[in-house]
Amino acid sequence: MSLLRETYYIYLRNVRVWLSHPLNVASPIMFVVFFFLVFGTPLSSVTLLPGFPADDYKAFLTGMILVQAVVFSGSDTGFAMLTDILSGYFEKLLLSPVHRFSILLASLLTAGTRALMQALVIVALALVLGVSFKGGVLGIIAVILMSCVFGIAWSSLGLMIALKTKNVQVTESTWLLFFPLVFLTTAFMPKEFLSGWFRVAVSVNPVNYVLEGIRVIVVEGWKWDVILPGLWVLVGMTVVLTSAAAWFYRRATG
Amino acid sequence: MADSREAPPFSDPAMVLVEKLVKVYPGGTRAVDGIDVRVERGEFFGFLGPNGAGKSTVMKVLSTLLRKTSGRASVAGHDIDREPMAVRRNIGFAMQEVGLDDLAKGRDFLVMQGLLYGLSRHEAGRRADELLELVGLTSVAGRKVGTYSGGMRRRIDLAAALVHRPPLLFLDEPTTGLDPQTRLALWDHLKQLNDQGITVFLTTQTMEEADRLCRRIAIIDRGRIVAEGSPRALKAEVGGDVISLTFDQANGEVDLLRAQALVREQPYVVDVKPAGTGLSITTRDGGATLPSLLRLLLENGIVVANLSVSSPTLDDVFLKHTGRKIRSEAAAGNEWDQALRPWLGLGKR
Repeated sequence: MSLLRETYYIYLRNVRVWLSHPLNVASPIMFVVFFFLVFGTPLSSVTLLPGFPADDYKAFLTGMILVQAVVFSGSDTGFAMLTDILSGYFEKLLLSPVHRFSILLASLLTAGTRALMQALVIVALALVLGVSFKGGVLGIIAVILMSCVFGIAWSSLGLMIALKTKNVQVTESTWLLFFPLVFLTTAFMPKEFLSGWFRVAVSVNPVNYVLEGIRVIVVEGWKWDVILPGLWVLVGMTVVLTSAAAWFYRRATG
Repeated sequence: MADSREAPPFSDPAMVLVEKLVKVYPGGTRAVDGIDVRVERGEFFGFLGPNGAGKSTVMKVLSTLLRKTSGRASVAGHDIDREPMAVRRNIGFAMQEVGLDDLAKGRDFLVMQGLLYGLSRHEAGRRADELLELVGLTSVAGRKVGTYSGGMRRRIDLAAALVHRPPLLFLDEPTTGLDPQTRLALWDHLKQLNDQGITVFLTTQTMEEADRLCRRIAIIDRGRIVAEGSPRALKAEVGGDVISLTFDQANGEVDLLRAQALVREQPYVVDVKPAGTGLSITTRDGGATLPSLLRLLLENGIVVANLSVSSPTLDDVFLKHTGRKIRSEAAAGNEWDQALRPWLGLGKR
């Protein structure tokens, strides 16, 4: 059987498992609604500050919400694989005549699907709340695709932790480790408004470049001097993190 | 790995062929210490041994779940290092710890297994229905596997191992934790499968299971095979009936070494070994020699508190080769396990 076909079957099974927990589907939606309502409208007058790059704060936040959704669900993929390992089903898969890599690939594709679903919900809600995507329809597609790729890259971190520790509590708590990476960014304010150690931290945080690349498509359109660095960081992050996850996976599966 | 690079491919028709297999875990535990095994096609073969003997490790190496440290092995004519995919296509494996997709419905789980083994969706569906019928789970096929009882989980696990009609079935302690009725039913299934030509390689700690099912067994202890043959031949090797004596300690501890030496001197005694607080004595005819033995011990101030006479069991075979009983190993393991589980926040097995 071909690698693609095996991956497809295992991927379908993973998605079925994910969808079988209603909270898995509902929580991203609740999360997004919360952020738009709590921060989007009440803080809207921030855009009146001189030099603020957007005239709609909800549009400015959209990038952060997309990135945050991915980061906060980063442990889900690792947790799903760990559940299979602890239940013994993972060994069942290893015993079958499938390429071992197809199991990992299916997990990463499931992570991408999860990120896709989250991105669709976020974009839909943003549109309903009146956010205007300056990048147009192509911009919407680009933003969704970048979120999916970021989801695949970020889930690799959760996978590595799950495969290395094989510990449920540690894997579940992964999001706490990466929580600062979302907030040490220009999530709420552009860099020009930041100072001191915070500004330095933002400058070296790779997640910030991805966030800015996504956000600029929403609030300003095709500004390549911001999009390209974000894309490069995203590609680099994906290559490094998925390769590292593959290495950990290979060690764990012999 | 060097062995398999230099050695020629296997040409032996045996279903399982193992030469000098060694497995050392990280940390240094030598779980398998140079074993040789041959299982013929169509045979019902068993590994009998206590917890920690290396039975499951051998099976996991042969099924390509674990890498060996050294040695060679072929399964269904395929080298486990050079052709792992071919090995997996030719085996079904029902493991000691049943690993199932708990959120899948029974039938869907089997269909997925079929798909992974290359069956078309239609074939996988047909095969799933056939197997559900075989293992008596048709009525619960629409329920999630996570709702099944322990016995049902074992049965669907067996069905999953058979979905692709493998010529070789690995079963790692398949009846652990099952009630007697379910165990008997499973034994019947396995005998039927073997009658249909499937080679079965089983591991067990249960002597009755090995005795009933296996045409040939290998007794394994601490990573090594200590005896091999048919259950009947192995028991005949023990040399006769076994008289088990325990001594009355009410008037002080009995000197076991002295008692052993006394008994050993008698011409009708084949072998005598300490066994707990007594002795295990092998004689040609237990019934005839028992009165003489008891008189001898009483004359020397040794009072027997309890006795039994039995024909040799595989436990006696194990005792002969290792100096220990399988039962005491299994019981000790279970006692520790049961004692520790609450502390670890786990329920009883």
